[in-house]
Amino acid sequence: MNQDTETQSTTGNALDAVRANPRPVAVWGAVAALLLLPELGAVLASVAEAVAILVSLIPGDPGAALVTDIQRAVGDIPTLLSRETIPNRGYYDGSQWQGTFAGLEPRDAWLLRAVLIYTYALLVFWWVVVGYRWFRSNYRVSDWTPFDDMLDRFRTHRWGHFGLLVVVLFLILVVFAPSLSTTTVDQNIVDPYSHEISYYDHEVESVEQTTVGTANRESQSTGEENIGPWTYDDYGRFHPFGTLPSGKDLFTFIAAGARVSLVIGLVAIGLAGLIAVSLALLSAYYQGLVDLAVVLSSDSIQGLPSLLILLLLSVLLSDTWIGGIYSGGFVLALIYGAISWPFLWRALRGPALQTAGEEWVDAARNFGQAPHTIMRKHILPYIAGYLLVYGSMSLGGAIISIAGLSFLGLGIDAPTPEWGRAVNAGQEYVASESWHISLIPGVLITLLVTGFNALGDGIRDAIDPQSDTDSGTESAATGGGA
Amino acid sequence: MSRLRYFFKRLLLSLPVLVFGTSVTFLAIHAGPVDPVAAILGTQTDAASQEEYNRIRRQLGLHLPLWQQYIEFMIDMATLDLGQSWVISPKTSTETLISAYAPRTLWLGFWSILIAIFVGVPLGFYAGMRSNTSADYFASVGGIVWRAMPNFWLAVILVAFLSQSQEFVGVSWQTLGPDVTVTGAAPLQNLSDPNNLLAAIKKVFPAALVLGSASMGNEMRIGRTAVLETINKNYVQTARGKGVSRRTLVWKHIFRNAFIPLVPIITGEAFVLIGGSVLVETVFGINGIGYLFYRASVQGDLPLVGSLMFVFILVIVFVNILQDLLYILIDPRIGYSDT
Repeated sequence: MNQDTETQSTTGNALDAVRANPRPVAVWGAVAALLLLPELGAVLASVAEAVAILVSLIPGDPGAALVTDIQRAVGDIPTLLSRETIPNRGYYDGSQWQGTFAGLEPRDAWLLRAVLIYTYALLVFWWVVVGYRWFRSNYRVSDWTPFDDMLDRFRTHRWGHFGLLVVVLFLILVVFAPSLSTTTVDQNIVDPYSHEISYYDHEVESVEQTTVGTANRESQSTGEENIGPWTYDDYGRFHPFGTLPSGKDLFTFIAAGARVSLVIGLVAIGLAGLIAVSLALLSAYYQGLVDLAVVLSSDSIQGLPSLLILLLLSVLLSDTWIGGIYSGGFVLALIYGAISWPFLWRALRGPALQTAGEEWVDAARNFGQAPHTIMRKHILPYIAGYLLVYGSMSLGGAIISIAGLSFLGLGIDAPTPEWGRAVNAGQEYVASESWHISLIPGVLITLLVTGFNALGDGIRDAIDPQSDTDSGTESAATGGGA
Repeated sequence: MSRLRYFFKRLLLSLPVLVFGTSVTFLAIHAGPVDPVAAILGTQTDAASQEEYNRIRRQLGLHLPLWQQYIEFMIDMATLDLGQSWVISPKTSTETLISAYAPRTLWLGFWSILIAIFVGVPLGFYAGMRSNTSADYFASVGGIVWRAMPNFWLAVILVAFLSQSQEFVGVSWQTLGPDVTVTGAAPLQNLSDPNNLLAAIKKVFPAALVLGSASMGNEMRIGRTAVLETINKNYVQTARGKGVSRRTLVWKHIFRNAFIPLVPIITGEAFVLIGGSVLVETVFGINGIGYLFYRASVQGDLPLVGSLMFVFILVIVFVNILQDLLYILIDPRIGYSDT
């Protein structure tokens, strides 16, 4: 945790160390550049898009044309691990597959792409870890920092590793969702009747054209008719998780829904964390009346039935402008953040109070440092780790809550994919052939929430081996009963 | 004396909670973006409905300035004048609706707390007494996964499994014991008759199991930790040293103290139950109070929603007071230290 301050004070020396021994940094940089190459197009496109959004915020749109030019130029740079370079969608022309990668059948082409993307992403993750290790052994001036001990404790924490693995796999799914899914959200879910596909009609033995919407209607999973996991439908489309009752591809739905869930969860917990940290710092530093005021307001908010408030407000705000942002997800995230910060604050209050009582805080105060500097420099670093722990655990709760609302048909508006809605769609068919529709999203939510909790456990044991489960956040971790 | 003062202090602190919650509810409904009268009437625009609009508006007091509405709302709630329903069941008073719907939810909540305690706590204590054995790991991981399952999903799966149990395990759940279907509310008439009682318990059991699942996992985790911590305390070593029998040691010295951290977990279930009852009741088709709240919100019966929300907050505050009372009874140290 002291890491930041330690490296800051020794930056000059670290630069000297690089000058004395430039080989590791050169090798690391070269490999990192190589690793960037396959995704160069996608990375530049995201950067260009971010710039475009920033420019569009400036009144008068100066340089809008320039930005469009840049975006077009960037669009020409190929992305190797994408749907375009390794296509999985094609049709059978009676003798072989047309349009798929190297004439493979769609299943194998998709599998190849998925395996390549996961390998690539895990490689990038590993290379970052290697980078930190090289930095530590070659360039860092101090032999030891408290952060090293935390890393060492985490390295033997099996349960934490499980959590990290689940979370990393989920993050890869979120980041690469458009390339990983078998078809695009726009083509398959949002606007199926505006897209045409070719397929091989076995009855007339020729290649025919049809809209995706018609094909979906013939590929429904409703018990009697069923396109189960890991099968093809009649239109030569491969469905790794089967289809929804509407005939849409469940894997594409889940991958896009993972993005929605994570974004909402991160915004909600980010907001809650921001409020919780600010209030924990203020109440620990000033104590007395400030502390009492925060205790009272957090008690009051915790006294509200959170899921019901979320339900009521999402209904009331659904027709307003704020309810339309991100298919209603933005307002959900705001409400969730506003009602869940007390759980985080309770977990941070103890460590913050303890740190505020330390001698160095007293020394800084006598030395004449401003209160906000003391809070930021001398208290914040010691509670940041706890924020990570309880933030990770609450993220699971947020994802469950949002899924619960979508299950009731509230919150995220259709057709934007959300896991809870898939569970709802498959509700009637659980005991039939089409068991996959409800079962797969539910298993994934359970796995993901367990993963976030395990990661939280691991980090907590790493930063503070003495502590054990804090009862205050137990209900936050389960999403208020969803 | 000091314990009594502690209790009164806690009682006093619960007032702002009640006021805050009720104010938030008021703001959401009376100052929110949805006009309660328009929500009640739907989208009709002829002259008759305009007259109706004004009539309802006056009856709800919406023509008054906002601060006056606020004072009236707070006085109504404080005197438990909960108003009436407008859409779900027009002209029925909220009290009548609650007394019709609440028993089903109370029955569900009662059993979900009971099942969670009787499964979660013993499992947690068992795991704690045998820490770091394979049985402990199995129970702990099981508890964590069980807790991570979303209630609504677990409910969907359980309903499907039980209604087809004949095909899956060869035993039909419906005809096992009293003949009751999987979904629907438990029949609560004549509970003094053992057959009816058994049927009502069997009927509510799957829903209660789902609703209690998160609490069960929590109780297990906390119970395990509490036993582990207590076992290593000096007074347990002392008791063991002076030759206290194992039975007395476990029951009097370990379990009683290990129960203290479990109290807030058990009472904290009130939150989970009230929130979860909406989803679990929807899936199991139990027309309880959570389901009533959901329907009232979705169908625009905002006056009813406000009253129900107040009742929920009242229940939570009441459970918190109960928790303090339990604390005082179970832990004699309360009130003697400053914390």
